[in-house]
Parts: sequence; C-alpha cells; structure tokens
Amino acid sequence: MPGANIIQLRQLLSEKFPGARPRMGGPVRNCWPTGLPQIDGPLDGGLPRGALAEVIAENAGSGGALLMAALIHQAARERQIIAVVDGRDSLEVTQIGGDVSRLLWVRCRSADEAMKAADLLLRDRNMSLVVLDLAANPAAQLRKIPATVWYRFQRLLEQTSTVCAVLTPRAMVSPAKVRITLRSRFSLAALEAERDGLLRELRVYVSAERRSGELFSALKQSA
Amino acid sequence: MFAVIVIPNFSLQAVLRNEPELSARAVGLVDPGQTKPLIIQLTAEAARYGVCAGLTASQAQARCDALIIKTLSPAAEQAATDVLLQTVYAFSPNIELTAPGVCTAELKGLGIKLDAAAESWGRQILESLAGFHLEARIGFAVTPALALLAAREATPLLVAKDSAAFAAALPVAALEPPPPMLEILAAWGIGTVGQWLALGRDRVAERLGSEAVALFDRVSVDSIRPLKLVTPPEEVAERMEFEHEVETMEPLLFVVRRFVEQLARRFELVHLVVGEFQLRLDLSSGANYERMFTIPAPTANIDTLFRMLQTHLETVRTDSAIIALRLGAKPCRAEAHQFGLFETSLRDPNQFAETLARLTALCGADRVGTPQLESTHRPDVFKMKMPEFGGEVSKGAGSERGSRHGASGYGVPPSGGRARANTGISRILDPLDNANAPPDEAGTPYPDVNIAEPERGLQLRRFRPPVPASIEFQDERPVRFQSKVFSGALADARGPFRSSGNWWDDDRWAREEWDVQTSGGALYRIFFSAAGGFVEGVYD
Repeated sequence: MPGANIIQLRQLLSEKFPGARPRMGGPVRNCWPTGLPQIDGPLDGGLPRGALAEVIAENAGSGGALLMAALIHQAARERQIIAVVDGRDSLEVTQIGGDVSRLLWVRCRSADEAMKAADLLLRDRNMSLVVLDLAANPAAQLRKIPATVWYRFQRLLEQTSTVCAVLTPRAMVSPAKVRITLRSRFSLAALEAERDGLLRELRVYVSAERRSGELFSALKQSA
Repeated sequence: MFAVIVIPNFSLQAVLRNEPELSARAVGLVDPGQTKPLIIQLTAEAARYGVCAGLTASQAQARCDALIIKTLSPAAEQAATDVLLQTVYAFSPNIELTAPGVCTAELKGLGIKLDAAAESWGRQILESLAGFHLEARIGFAVTPALALLAAREATPLLVAKDSAAFAAALPVAALEPPPPMLEILAAWGIGTVGQWLALGRDRVAERLGSEAVALFDRVSVDSIRPLKLVTPPEEVAERMEFEHEVETMEPLLFVVRRFVEQLARRFELVHLVVGEFQLRLDLSSGANYERMFTIPAPTANIDTLFRMLQTHLETVRTDSAIIALRLGAKPCRAEAHQFGLFETSLRDPNQFAETLARLTALCGADRVGTPQLESTHRPDVFKMKMPEFGGEVSKGAGSERGSRHGASGYGVPPSGGRARANTGISRILDPLDNANAPPDEAGTPYPDVNIAEPERGLQLRRFRPPVPASIEFQDERPVRFQSKVFSGALADARGPFRSSGNWWDDDRWAREEWDVQTSGGALYRIFFSAAGGFVEGVYD
C-alpha cells in the first residue's frame, strides 16, 4: 500500500521535525522547535528559521544558561550541527548532557570577538542553530555593539535556514523576529531538581513579530 | 595511425605559460647557462622587429627596445611537459614523450578511422592545450616519423591522408640531414624527399652510408618504430621563481590563483578533483615555508580552492622576502555525498573548513572546536578537538588539541566528601572510595563514570578563571562573602561537597564546594582550595 506508506512517512517526519513540515491544514511555518512547550506553543512550532531570536535574561539566575543548555540538548537529540558563540567563555560544558559531538563551541574573550565570530558563522550557512551568548558580558562591552550589526546579521540570516538565538541581559537586538524574556527565580532546592522539571517551570514571556509592520504586537505569556 | 603534438618554441612557451599576457609582446628567451647568453627563442612580435635567434640580449634590445628578456626555466619546462602528457593522455592511453615539447600518440583502438574524426580529435587537444596557454600543432600520419613531419608542417592541424605523397612532396631539408649530405643531394639535383626516395634504399646506402639509410627509413611508410610508452605523473606541481622578491600578499595571491586554475584544470581532464595541496615558499634567507592542505570535500571549484589558500596565506608572516613559489596537488575522485533523512551534515564542508580557520585565527586554536569531556571528576576539565561533523572536516586540518581548565591551579587542601546531586556525577565522591579505586591503564580513575549525563539542577555559568573571594564562616557555614561579582550576606548555603583526585601523581587536587544563595536571591557556587576561596560561577 504505497499510500499508507507515504502517510506513515509523513507522520514520522512531522513527529521528528514538527517545525519542518506543517500538518495537513495547519499553518505554514518554518521553525526550529525548541522542545519547550512554553516557547514552541506561542511561536506556532518554534524559533523562526532565517531570523534573529533574542532571549533576554535580565538577571543572573533567570534561566538563560538553562535555556541555552536546553537548546543545545535539543539540537543534539536531533543530530543537528550547531554553534555556540560564548561571549565570555562561561559555558559549563560538562553539565549540558547528551552528545556534544556536533557542537562547535567558540570561546570568546569579549563581546566584540563574539560578534566577529558570529558574523563568520552566519556567513558560513552550515549551522542550523547559532547561539550567541552575550548575557554574561559587561554592559560596557555591549554598549559598543553598533545597532547596525544586528540588521546585517538579519540580512545574512534571511538567505539561510539558520536560527540565531542571541542571549542578552537587556533588549538590544532591534530586528529580532522573536523576543523571549526570562524571569525565573530559583532557590537552592532547584539544584537538586530534575532538569526537565526546571525547564517546565521556566517563566518565559514570548513576543513575536506576526506580520510586517506589526512588531511585537502579540504578547504571550506561559508557565 | 599516429598523431604527433608539437609545441613550437617549447622552452619559451613553457616560461610564458604563467604570464600568458606576454605572449603577444616582444619576448626573447636566453639560456643563462651559456658563457655568452644568446637569444634562442622569441615570440612573433619580437621577430616582427627583426630580432632573431643567435643575437645577444643587447643586440636584440637594440633592434627592439621593448623586448622582454626571459631566461630558460627547467622547472617551467618540466611543468609544461607534464601538462602536455596529461592532456594527450586524456585522449589516448598510448603516448610517448618523443622530445621536449613533442608527444606522439597512437590512435589504434580509439575508433578514429576517418580524417574528419582525426581532425575533431586533434582540435579537442588543441583547445585543451590552449586552456593551459600552450599553442600546439598536430600532424597525423601512418608512422610516428611521418606524423612528426606532418606536425611541423601543420597550421595547426594536418592529416597526411596519403602519407607517401605527403612525404614525397616534402623538401629534403625537412628530414634535417647533416649539412654535408644536404650539399651532396643538392649537387645531385635532388630537392624533394620523393626524388630522394626514387634513388632506392640500396643505392642510397651504397653512396651515402648508414646515416642516410636511417633517414630513408624515417620517411618510409612501412617503417613503424615502437613507441616508448609513458604515463603522466599523478601528482602535479607548478613552480615559479620570481624575478623580483615578493614582499606583499597581492602578487603572491595573483600567482597562486593562476596555479590553482592550472592544477584544477589539469585534474579535470582526467575527471579528478584536487584532494590535497602542498604549498612551498622559498625565502631569500635560504629558509622555506611549507604547508600541506587537505581539502575537506575534494573539489575542482577554483574559487573554493583559492579561498582556502588565501585564508591561510593572509595569516603567514615570513622573516624574509619570497623568491619562489611551488604549489603541488594530489588528485582524488570527487565525493558524492548523500544527505541523511534524520541527521544533518555539513552542506559545504570546504566553506566550514574556511570558517573554522578564520575562527581559529580570531580566537585562538584552543578556543574553537568541539568539547570532548574527560573521564574525571575534576571540575571544568575537557579537551577541544577539531569538529568531525560527518567525518569530512578535520581530515588533516589539525589534530586534537588538549587543554585543561579550571581547578588545576587553585590549590590542594585535604578532602572529605559526599555526592553533589547537581553535578550529575553518579558516583559517590569519597576519599576512601578514591583510595580504593586504582587508576586504569591510562592513569585515569573511574573510567566507567559517565559525566555527560547530568540532567539535574540548574546550569552553571562559569567564571574562567574563578574569581577570588573572601568568605566568612559562622558555625562552619558560609554567611557572607566578598568578591568582584558579589559582596554581601548569604541567605542560605548548601554543602560542603568535597572532592579530590590525582592523589597518585604530582597533579593531585582537592576542593570543598558550597552552593550559596545571596540575600538578593542569586545562586553562586563557591569553593576552597589550597589557594584560598573562589567564586566558581553563578547558577543561571
């Protein structure tokens, strides 16, 4: 029954890549699923491909590193090649878990170096996800990043299917198609908790550009 | 049938191959090995000004002040010979290097029966050689000797349909007999090969000796000498000695680009691609710089190959000027890559290799790569290795680079211990356990510990290196600490978690960790070692 086989294959593909091909009758979206329902739900499948996504971790302890580890873990599960541009060489790689053999880790000393590295990786077009972690960089370094750089990144991304997630301590990526604000607070008890449970408790505020000219009009809150 | 491909003015064409724009200008070639260097070959433009072979360089320049003097280059001739052989070998498996710049090919078995087919075959060779900036002539005949004579008469292609008639019409001088013999034949009134052949082989032998017999046999349609078959080399190279020392990147890249074009095109002839480059720069100081490049995804794309060399050369600094450049290449078959359904692989491995090289130049070799965790409980220990995304990238691009980070330099106090839930280490860290667990063969304890499966607790954001802190204790618990990242009272603390290792060698370590929560709610990991107290990171 070739027809049944095709249906099975479609089901398999939609389960494996929920963002890659929409279900019959569903909305047409080209997304990179994060595996976190509080993000994938509001964004109709995940982070948009070919676009910048800004993750704002306003305070240390709000879950920025936890979310980054979850993204890396999700990519490893999907056997995808990703890059992490570590703005201040702060990634605790032994804690990520899973297979990190398809992770390219660029350990930068400053935000300036990280921006240059990200520029190279976005031009490369081989990565499905580039995480640019600037959350730990001093504000003085971040202030020196010209706003035009983000627009250049956006132009580079538009020609690819790469997702670029930028972790920042404050809103600074103007052309971001998606903005995720983290406002979690954890106690010492969280250090004993299961990682999956912590991710479920992660308080995220997702805002997305729905249509051109209607920037960040939809604000969705979950968890 | 045989075909002979002749490259006229071979030495000059070999030298001008890397500077093809000079072919249309007045250029003379001299042999620097002679005591009095004379012009031995020249371009048509030089001849138009009255320059001829045998003049000295100054005499020639007196006739043409724009004359460019070039010197013989054995390396260039060897490269041109290789090009000639490779080109002809792509069209016939039976080839002979008859003389410098002369190649004979046997057409037997190639299915070339008609003159039109031979002409088409020859034109393809001429076009291929023109792509390498070599201008050739081709002659076809039933014997190799007659084909050579036809090639010399060709403009640029000649098929001697009736070989006997073709030979008969040739002047005797075309056989290049010794001058005394030519004088005798002229005295006899013999001007063409046909008249000479009419004398008969025995009569010629009787009157002019064995030398004349050899010449007689050369033009005989029945005398077919066996070819000394050769195979062109698999590895090819281009080399140029610069007239002026090169000190900047631009002229070097200009030549490198030309070499890459030539090498890639040579492999393309035999449907191969470049798998490896060997670059060698000879310096004026006598030293040289050598580097091998393995192409991650072998290709014939000139831009990709050139970019790889350019990226590297931009980072090269030599202590003296460059006087010669050699670029060798090894061929291999083009790889066809099947993308997996459920696993992504690099779409453009060459581009990725270049990006990797640029990232390495930007951040340093020990700061770019894939982390490889080590089987140890020591915190923050990992190696950075070259990425192997599908096994295509790191071939020859560099070997594993080891680096140890974290606690190694931060003290060796005594230890106690119990398990930390949030590190994910599944085994109890107990000094007694340590003592009872001998190292494995490689000297590493706990080879069975899987440190890559934490799945618990918050993610630590490390400070590299750890931030020194002054920690205040009350009832054996930290209550306050001062550091660059935080100073103030602690609301809660959890610990101590003691760990130690490498007790069997000089690299022993021990530490006591605490997880603390500040009054503001931030969570930090602090630790003590022999070097004092430190903040290791913040939980985020």
